[in-house]
Amino acid sequence: MVLYVIKRLVGIVAILVVMSVLVFAITQVMPGNVAHILAGQFADDATIKAIEHKLGLDAPAYVQYWRWASGVLSGNLGNSLIMERPVGPLIWDAFMSSALLAAIAFVMVAVFGIVLGVLAAVRQNRFTDHAVSVFSYIGVSVPEFFWAIVAIIVFARYLDWLPSGGAGNLSHGVWSWASHLILPSLTLTFTLIAHVSRLTRSSMIETLRSNYVRNARAKGLPEGVIIRRHALRNALLPTITVLAIDVGWLLGNIVVVEAVFSYPGIGRLLLFAIERHDLPLIQAGILLIAAVYCFANLIADLLYAYFNPKIRYGHAES
Amino acid sequence: MKKRFIGALGAAAISLTALMAPAMAAGTLRVAIPSNLNTLDAAKTKLGEEYIMNFLIFSGLTEVDGKGGVKPDLAESWSKSDDQKTWTFKLRPGVKFHDGRELEAADVKASIERIKDKATGSPARVNFDIVDSIETPDKETVVFKLKIPYSGFAELFGDRQVRILPRDKFDTIATHPIGTGPFMFKSFTPGDRVELVKNPDYYVKGEPKLDAVTFRIMPESAAEIAALETGDVDLVWSLPLESIDQMKDNPDIVVDSTPTSTWDGLIMNSAKKPFDDARVRKAVLMALDKKALVEVALYGQGTPTHTMIPPSHPYYNSDIPIGAPDVEGAKKLLAEAGYPDGFEATLYVPVGRPTRERLGIAAKEMLAPVGIKVDIQRVPWDKFVKEIEGKAAFYADGFFSRPTIDTSIYPFYHSTGSWNTQLWNYKNPEIDKVLDDARAAKTEDERAALYKKFQALAEDNPAGAIPYVLNHVNAYRKNVKGFHSSPMMWLDLRETTVE
Repeated sequence: MVLYVIKRLVGIVAILVVMSVLVFAITQVMPGNVAHILAGQFADDATIKAIEHKLGLDAPAYVQYWRWASGVLSGNLGNSLIMERPVGPLIWDAFMSSALLAAIAFVMVAVFGIVLGVLAAVRQNRFTDHAVSVFSYIGVSVPEFFWAIVAIIVFARYLDWLPSGGAGNLSHGVWSWASHLILPSLTLTFTLIAHVSRLTRSSMIETLRSNYVRNARAKGLPEGVIIRRHALRNALLPTITVLAIDVGWLLGNIVVVEAVFSYPGIGRLLLFAIERHDLPLIQAGILLIAAVYCFANLIADLLYAYFNPKIRYGHAES
Repeated sequence: MKKRFIGALGAAAISLTALMAPAMAAGTLRVAIPSNLNTLDAAKTKLGEEYIMNFLIFSGLTEVDGKGGVKPDLAESWSKSDDQKTWTFKLRPGVKFHDGRELEAADVKASIERIKDKATGSPARVNFDIVDSIETPDKETVVFKLKIPYSGFAELFGDRQVRILPRDKFDTIATHPIGTGPFMFKSFTPGDRVELVKNPDYYVKGEPKLDAVTFRIMPESAAEIAALETGDVDLVWSLPLESIDQMKDNPDIVVDSTPTSTWDGLIMNSAKKPFDDARVRKAVLMALDKKALVEVALYGQGTPTHTMIPPSHPYYNSDIPIGAPDVEGAKKLLAEAGYPDGFEATLYVPVGRPTRERLGIAAKEMLAPVGIKVDIQRVPWDKFVKEIEGKAAFYADGFFSRPTIDTSIYPFYHSTGSWNTQLWNYKNPEIDKVLDDARAAKTEDERAALYKKFQALAEDNPAGAIPYVLNHVNAYRKNVKGFHSSPMMWLDLRETTVE
């Protein structure tokens, strides 16, 4: 088990290194560089050359990459070229804001997704089942920016219950802080819940038809106990995998949701950095997101093993 | 159950908002802006949002009103030599930076030299190429020696990037700006907000009237509008033109529109066929219905014009008519130029500049009757700047209004102008002479006559088609008093109050 985790960790580091090279290569291919952006529209070549020289962009690509990589290895993520401030705190603040939003959305997706999936399975082909299907399909099939704007118009503009965007501050009270999180996290949840609820439903239905559930019923166990203790635990296995994949979706959707709700998170910061070719900021942002995704998958695999001893890692031969 | 929960939530929200209301300072103005700021270093700013900060945190030597006038700011007075090559500025005594240090002539010298340094990358640099040397005979006097006579030199100091910064704080100015302006920088949370507070030592006594200004960065216009309507913000800067009509019906909100000299245009590259022929360029101009373009591209929020000199400017040449399109005349000119059946052209428009995208689409329709078949290509902005501007034959471009008449025109229209070759490669000896003469003009009348002549010349031999100048529109709640939209698109909040 420990060996397996170490192997996976080495793999994650390798993925991050490859990612950083890829991101660097892509920024080299993009038309224009940060010097063009700093100099602005109609800048003359002399100005662009002077800025390139100041930022070291006139060095060969591998030298530039090495400068950045050696900085990272010594714990220095560098300065944002556009904003002229250290990348570390900039990324960290944005990441923590996003993490809060993503964590709330993730927990809601997991809890509501599983609950709705189980409800639909137990009431298969009845009204509840159809209602859950319609609800979750509407959520997944219409893009998040649409729901975000609908939410703003309904809850902020007409009902005036919740703020239309931005991030709250705890110093202005708990409600002010929490109220800013409600609409973005609900939007994220709504667009992701179908994956989890649909999968839970079908694997639950399959499990409820299995022999051991029939045995349990024959034993005379109450239906609630059968569902909770016997069926759900096995039915959840594929759900765990899809939840890990959902982390990836979540990180993608959060870029859009943050932009619409003016939420100062890593998605918007990354978009800002990419539009301006701000390499240190792009690198730090992408690597952080890639790392989150890798670790989410690692955790999912470990949970999978925990729930299903049959495939417990490193002990397959015993 | 669910209904009751939401109801309770709503009630809680309302009571909490009511509880929180007194906590906010009485004189705090909350403004929504759409884009995040790149930098707070005035010399390097390129965005409208950044320019707002430039004028709240910093001051310049002079101030322009956007209508052609110039008045004192940090410079109390100035004088020029007879040959207009030596300019002497006297600083207002006793002006303090936000860190308490007194402003000195050396700060002015260092700030301008920093703009002149190529490595700073200031967009204002080209305007100061004419400066030969800067001298500071005493702490309150700055003398500029110019390479050429230049009548509009005092106006240059009202430009957006030309702010006076403390010379000992250059390396932290991008993250913690210190200036002499009416408001002091408090904090900037990238992607979220900028907070400014009143400068109690501002050199105009009794100003600013507000205690603080908070800028909320809100990229989505539906969110901005909802925030304004519900009172989460007091003012939305630069309202998207398409959302103006729905705001006009709201009794709590004032929509304030003002003409600017920001322009869009169809650029015809004189170095490329078929636009190397002035008759072809003129034919395109004749085919356009400028009034209709204002309606289509700007939803009516603009004014037809001849060049970038707006009709609101005293130098505007009102003798030239803004006529209806002349399809027959345009066809005749095309035939003379050797294109009796018209031609096909690709028009490049930048993605993410909606007015220019709409201008391109409308122009396609207007050019079809004269036989010009336009194929529209949308190009991402980065690629547009690098591969289209100055290189393609036909594209939609534009420029933000500039504070001085000379810097609005000379760089584009003079054959040696710094941006001419990056725009349309236009060469017209008559215009060159008029623009050079205007730089050296000694009186206002002389200058006005020359610029009117320039407009007539540009109408006969167009460099491109500049159909209109845009309006700048702000929307604010009725409790905001003493606010006027500026033609330069920045926010002057010195007289503003919130009730």
